[in-house]
Amino acid sequence: MNGARAGGLREGLRENDWFGPLLVTLAAVAIVTALNPAFLSPFNVQILLLAISVNAMVAFSQMIIIAIGQMNLSVGAIGGLAAIAFAGMMEVWGVPWPLAAVLALGIGLLAGLANGLLVATTGISAFIITLATLSIFKGVNLGITEAQPFYEIPAAVKSLGNDTFLGPLPWLVLPCAAVVLGLWYTLDRLSIGRAILAVGGNAHAAELSGISVGRVTVAAHALSGLLAALAGIMLVGRLQLGQPTIGDDWLILSFAAPVIGGAVLSGGRVSVGGTFFGVVLVAIFTQVLVLFSIDPFLVQIVLGVLILWAVGINRYREVRSRRRAGTVVT
Amino acid sequence: MRGGDGAGDVPRRDDTCTGTGTGTGTGTGTVSEDGSANGVAMFVAENVTKTFPGVVALRDVRLSLEPGSIHALLGENGAGKSTLIKAVTGVHALDGGRMLLDGEPFRPRTTHDAIARGVGVVHQERNLIPRFSIAENIFLERLADGALRRVARGRLIEEARHWLELLEIDADPALPVERLNVARMQLVEIAKALSLGSRLLLLDEPTASLTAHETDTLFGILRRLRDDGTSLMFVSHKLEEVQEICDRVTVLRDGENACESRPLAGMGRQDIVRLMIGRAEIIPDWPARDRTGRETVLALEGVSTPLGHEGIDLAVREGEIVGLYGLVGAGRSELAKCIVGKHPIDGGTVSIRGERVDIRTVAEAVGRHRIGYVSEDRKSEGLVLMHSVLDNVGAPVWRRLASAVGLLGDRRVREHALPFVRKLEVRTPSLAQSVGNLSGGNQQKVSVAKWLAAEVRILIVDEPSVGIDIKTKAYLHELIRELSDAGIALLLITSDMPEMIALADRIVVMGDYRIRGEIANDRDYDAVSGRIMALIQGEGEAAAPIIGRSDPTASSTVSR
Repeated sequence: MNGARAGGLREGLRENDWFGPLLVTLAAVAIVTALNPAFLSPFNVQILLLAISVNAMVAFSQMIIIAIGQMNLSVGAIGGLAAIAFAGMMEVWGVPWPLAAVLALGIGLLAGLANGLLVATTGISAFIITLATLSIFKGVNLGITEAQPFYEIPAAVKSLGNDTFLGPLPWLVLPCAAVVLGLWYTLDRLSIGRAILAVGGNAHAAELSGISVGRVTVAAHALSGLLAALAGIMLVGRLQLGQPTIGDDWLILSFAAPVIGGAVLSGGRVSVGGTFFGVVLVAIFTQVLVLFSIDPFLVQIVLGVLILWAVGINRYREVRSRRRAGTVVT
Repeated sequence: MRGGDGAGDVPRRDDTCTGTGTGTGTGTGTVSEDGSANGVAMFVAENVTKTFPGVVALRDVRLSLEPGSIHALLGENGAGKSTLIKAVTGVHALDGGRMLLDGEPFRPRTTHDAIARGVGVVHQERNLIPRFSIAENIFLERLADGALRRVARGRLIEEARHWLELLEIDADPALPVERLNVARMQLVEIAKALSLGSRLLLLDEPTASLTAHETDTLFGILRRLRDDGTSLMFVSHKLEEVQEICDRVTVLRDGENACESRPLAGMGRQDIVRLMIGRAEIIPDWPARDRTGRETVLALEGVSTPLGHEGIDLAVREGEIVGLYGLVGAGRSELAKCIVGKHPIDGGTVSIRGERVDIRTVAEAVGRHRIGYVSEDRKSEGLVLMHSVLDNVGAPVWRRLASAVGLLGDRRVREHALPFVRKLEVRTPSLAQSVGNLSGGNQQKVSVAKWLAAEVRILIVDEPSVGIDIKTKAYLHELIRELSDAGIALLLITSDMPEMIALADRIVVMGDYRIRGEIANDRDYDAVSGRIMALIQGEGEAAAPIIGRSDPTASSTVSR
């Protein structure tokens, strides 16, 4: 029994979606530090953590939609809209920043709700719906900003977006950590989280069991919008201005990190930890290219290779588990 | 086991019997007749009518179900069984008539309503979330009291254990269901239905993917549920099973009662068949043929595969039907897929007409060697359901028909495909109809027509009559026989013993990815089936390794 349990633990670690990316992350840190000790300098760590904190929100925003077996192309557009709304409200109307942040989060939530309701009521694929809303949200963004940034960002927001506590820890790590824990708890322990994974795993079965697939879809999209908005707001603090282009380059990363973290695009299988380490890996690679002054355009190529590598690993595991399932069935 | 005496083991009084005799004459349902049964009947359907645009799916259908009984619902494909099940489970609303549950009007508008009144259903296809634990699957829609409530895993597992014990499922409730075999998944679904407080349990083809041993276990459990007072409605195409386990039978034909709630005791297989198809089953009584003099078309010698086959020797002659019999999981379909190049072969030799071949891809098997494979899973492997009949039938010959530059006109394909579609009498409004809209029998005809159009010389047919009604089945049997008379070498894989004995010239028995032996088929059912079973059981206990391997805890330690 004991031996079986130890075997189970070893197998459990291997089966866990976060374990592989964690190992690769540790290996990458070790190698890069050996080559260039400056990698772990407080300043560099701070830069790294800032990037990770924001990007993790982007990745989670997509991950929750992947969990129900759909795609959200409008993650960046929602984030951008929330970002300029946040900055605009503070600059134009003089709204105090906490209130502006809450309102901007509300905008993200509403945008996600709109996505979810459209998908759930029309039955049109989320890919098409969010392709359309991506265009709409971006259009609203450009209409408001006329493609000009908002520059008047309160000092408090600037400081929250860049300052640190306890050494190199940026304040932005706090919302990120809260979201990681909250999402993990939701997907693993809360009824709604299990329902999200059930719908992704087999929507038909979930429906026949009495789970409202429509309601779960709406909830997932609302959560996705909220997280995208949070990413946008955090980025305003970090960039110290309300850029209308915020969110334009999120799409690849938003899919890459969950996939590196073992997510299956057909739904039902996502990992909060795996996605988080996916974000970390991408951040490290990006940073390394800067550190060794390699052409930044290589970032795109490296990201592409990372995605292929990750889906390759996922595919291998799938084949292996199917083979094993085969031995169970026969 | 096939004696069909199971109906007799719990004698029950027939004072509620409203058997309307044989024939289609349902009469004009005198409601009072049923009304008198209400005191005892748990579920009653009275003159239930359901129309779809252009079709009357159910017309004045009546049925009454006693508590603690197993009721068979039979009928050919399209007879209205699924419509009736959907009406009872709240998927369809009725257009006429009424249903009573415990004497109270029962009018479920959603599946939820039906569940709330204690009507559970186990569908034919699996409805579980693969990565979720057994416990979570059982309690899927009530993991917690509210969306934002915590899921109490420990409590769920404890509660699940109760249901697993009840159904004698020896598995850890925390285990993900993807690690279970099909039979156990089936039982988990039954556990789920029971945990919802179902007192009326509908089982739609529950044994379709089970081995004989697993079916026996399931029946034991069903009998116990019945004795505990649950009413069961059992839908199956396997009449032997119906006779073994059911107490009463309602047969539908063309949406009407062919008989209603009639006691099964004393009814023979032919009686049931006559009710289902309106005439007696024509059992083909083909004489045994001798094909030993013919040329060997396909020969396997000492073939082994990475899937686990070892030392497979097999020969199929021209115009011969070689049956490949074995329990589910014996490796028959897997062997077929290796022969057609879907999976590799890593040992031994394969020869076609005496010439050694090395088939690496399915395209090669079809194009060069003219081998066709009619998959047992026509919906996901055999056909492209959303594509037209023409595209499905034509797909294997596109390459051959295309001009030198790869141009391919619809007309060319049509000219080539139409004769075969006609020959098999595929009932379709046009060649442009998408295959998904055809009935199961017609889909199967299309998947055979496809290979005929490809002019195959070797045809492997895998479970040709799964989910096909008796009329179409007889037609398919004639077709298979005709094909072999025309010289095609046929390898027939089926788990349907009567089908095997009716069709095959020789029967090769497989077990555990090995050939167990070969039997010349002299069409003497009892003798041949006895010899087949002896071969299957020959090696120690044939059933034991299957149970052993289906044990998920064992499977995690044994790696292949």
